[in-house]
Amino acid sequence: MRPLTPRRIAGICGVLFALLFVVVVISLRMGTYPISVSEIVMTLFRGAFGHRDEIPSEFWLVVFGLRLPRIALGILVGAALSVAGAGFQALLRNPLADPYVLGVSSGAALGAILSLTFAPHVPGVIQLAAFIGAAATIASVYFLGRRGGQLDSATLLLAGIVAASFLSAMIMFLMTTLSGHELRGMAFWLMGDLSTPPPTPNVLEWLLFLFGVFAVAAGMIYATTSDLNLILTGEEEARHLGVNVRRVKLVVYISASVLTGLAVSVSGSIGYVGLLVPHVMRMIFGTDYRLLIPTSAIGGAIAIVLADTLARTVVAPTELPVGAMTALAGAPVFIYLMRRRVR
Amino acid sequence: MFISAVAAIGAVLPMAATLSASTARVHKASQIVTVKQVTDETGRAVLVPFKVNRIVSLAPNITETIYALGLESKLAGDTDYCDTPAAAKLKPHVGSMLNPSLEAIVALHPDLVLAAANSANRRETVDALARLGVAVYATDSRTVRGMFESITHISSLAGAAQQGTALVARLQARIDALQTRLAERPLVHVLFVVWEDPLITIGQNTFIADALRWSGAESVVIAKQDWPQLALEEVVRLEPEYIVFTGSHSGSSAAQMSDLRSRPMWKGLRAVELGHVVNISEEIDRPAPGLIDAIEELAHKLHPDAFPGENTSAMNHAPADIRIDVGEEGKSCAH
Repeated sequence: MRPLTPRRIAGICGVLFALLFVVVVISLRMGTYPISVSEIVMTLFRGAFGHRDEIPSEFWLVVFGLRLPRIALGILVGAALSVAGAGFQALLRNPLADPYVLGVSSGAALGAILSLTFAPHVPGVIQLAAFIGAAATIASVYFLGRRGGQLDSATLLLAGIVAASFLSAMIMFLMTTLSGHELRGMAFWLMGDLSTPPPTPNVLEWLLFLFGVFAVAAGMIYATTSDLNLILTGEEEARHLGVNVRRVKLVVYISASVLTGLAVSVSGSIGYVGLLVPHVMRMIFGTDYRLLIPTSAIGGAIAIVLADTLARTVVAPTELPVGAMTALAGAPVFIYLMRRRVR
Repeated sequence: MFISAVAAIGAVLPMAATLSASTARVHKASQIVTVKQVTDETGRAVLVPFKVNRIVSLAPNITETIYALGLESKLAGDTDYCDTPAAAKLKPHVGSMLNPSLEAIVALHPDLVLAAANSANRRETVDALARLGVAVYATDSRTVRGMFESITHISSLAGAAQQGTALVARLQARIDALQTRLAERPLVHVLFVVWEDPLITIGQNTFIADALRWSGAESVVIAKQDWPQLALEEVVRLEPEYIVFTGSHSGSSAAQMSDLRSRPMWKGLRAVELGHVVNISEEIDRPAPGLIDAIEELAHKLHPDAFPGENTSAMNHAPADIRIDVGEEGKSCAH
């Protein structure tokens, strides 16, 4: 195998970015509102240069109001979940680990359900409550999952699974005892859905904020990737080579959890992507985390944008939750790739 | 023309928000579009054009109301589930109630979208449309009286206030006549079955609970939840006089009866032994004019002696198969 130079990483990412761009264009074109590619280009061009009044208002609504924000949110969520999944798989040394394995999504869901019950319809509260729920779960699992003063993969995994099932049980309890129409939104939330509108009219600022958080957390994981590669060959060896194993694990744990909390707060629990995308990227590009993290980010973005495009169009005009689509499409794709590799 | 009207309204939205006056007048492309600010049934402020020509309905009860008002020519689109009257199925659809396609709604160029907040539609859908600058009026009919108010509001928004007043007066007269008939009669205690397995019934704050009271009935279950799940043991304890199913379950009351008799858990219930099982139209759960038919139908079935010699007139409102007298069949089987 060729050595992994920064140039090779940039080249592979460039190709994936091009693929993402193609998928975004396709997604922009698809939908129940009939709009041609040239009209989309015209709308994007004039919109980007501030000539909003020259665009037919419905084109502006469909492109800038509906499709682009949703695509951007899909890119964010897909990238965050896949990087988090890759991070947890390394941290827990378990190929079955996904972003939700440590209960972060259940904690976020509990926060969301409580906010829907006690403060329905207050903009931003559900996202905030979900993030608080996720953060509380991250902290409790961290304290439960330590052994001898540092994170131990097996203990952490057990603590996370127990926390997840306990929180899920609480969600079930609340869903059956509480009432109110607000809770019907929970079904979409639990399944994962990108159609929920952003909590503020300033969609651009909201997206920039979310991408800012993503960049910080994903950047922290990326900064540890050389150490992570060594840790994966063996913690003892890595320690002898001067890697601060304890710190690397803590950084990966916190960053991956924040990424999961971020994704879950805005879109609910979209399954499969965080589990499958890192594996697919490993099959294609190998196990080096310096390449795996960026390719997972772009691959996850591609996967969610594709899945959401299908979710919007297969039974149009009714929309499916994107989580249903990722689960429906994810499993067969993964099995196909796995079997092909075995052969 | 509709496109430009929508464009003009879209342009005035940020402006109107800063105006303290409740009416904004806009000049755009030598055309005057006037919008008025109204407060919808959920307390939201909505800018609605004075002249509404294209309505998109997001709920079956709203679609039915629009047809009952004779405004179907203004109905630009409805949902996949709008089936009453049958002609509503031919209108362009915008998807399901819980997750309609916002794009499909925008594509129909509506100047007013009517939603049923807190029942058919989600608040998120209403908010998302409003954020896109679409005029969305959310109805919130929680009672029969609330339904009358919604009819009045919808008709006046659509410029058909007179039709609305007339329709409400007709429906009110029927309800009043029914109440005269049922006066002095004790409420019948019923178990209303929303779903059989698991057994789900209604809470006291639901729309159906209110409709039951107008039919001279009352749910035996007292619950704050809207759709409580019930153990069959609790049904035994509560001893409902009648068990009420809706049309979607298994068709006729007779079929329902024999079905229940075949089940060990249900056949021991007193109401089942007595044949006190009725199956009524699904309209009972739809805040629309057809609800009054369902209320009358249920009243006839639960209080047959309040309508002496009138069974034929009651049959006008519902399909024949749910008119079978289960009471008699029940007796013949029980003995």
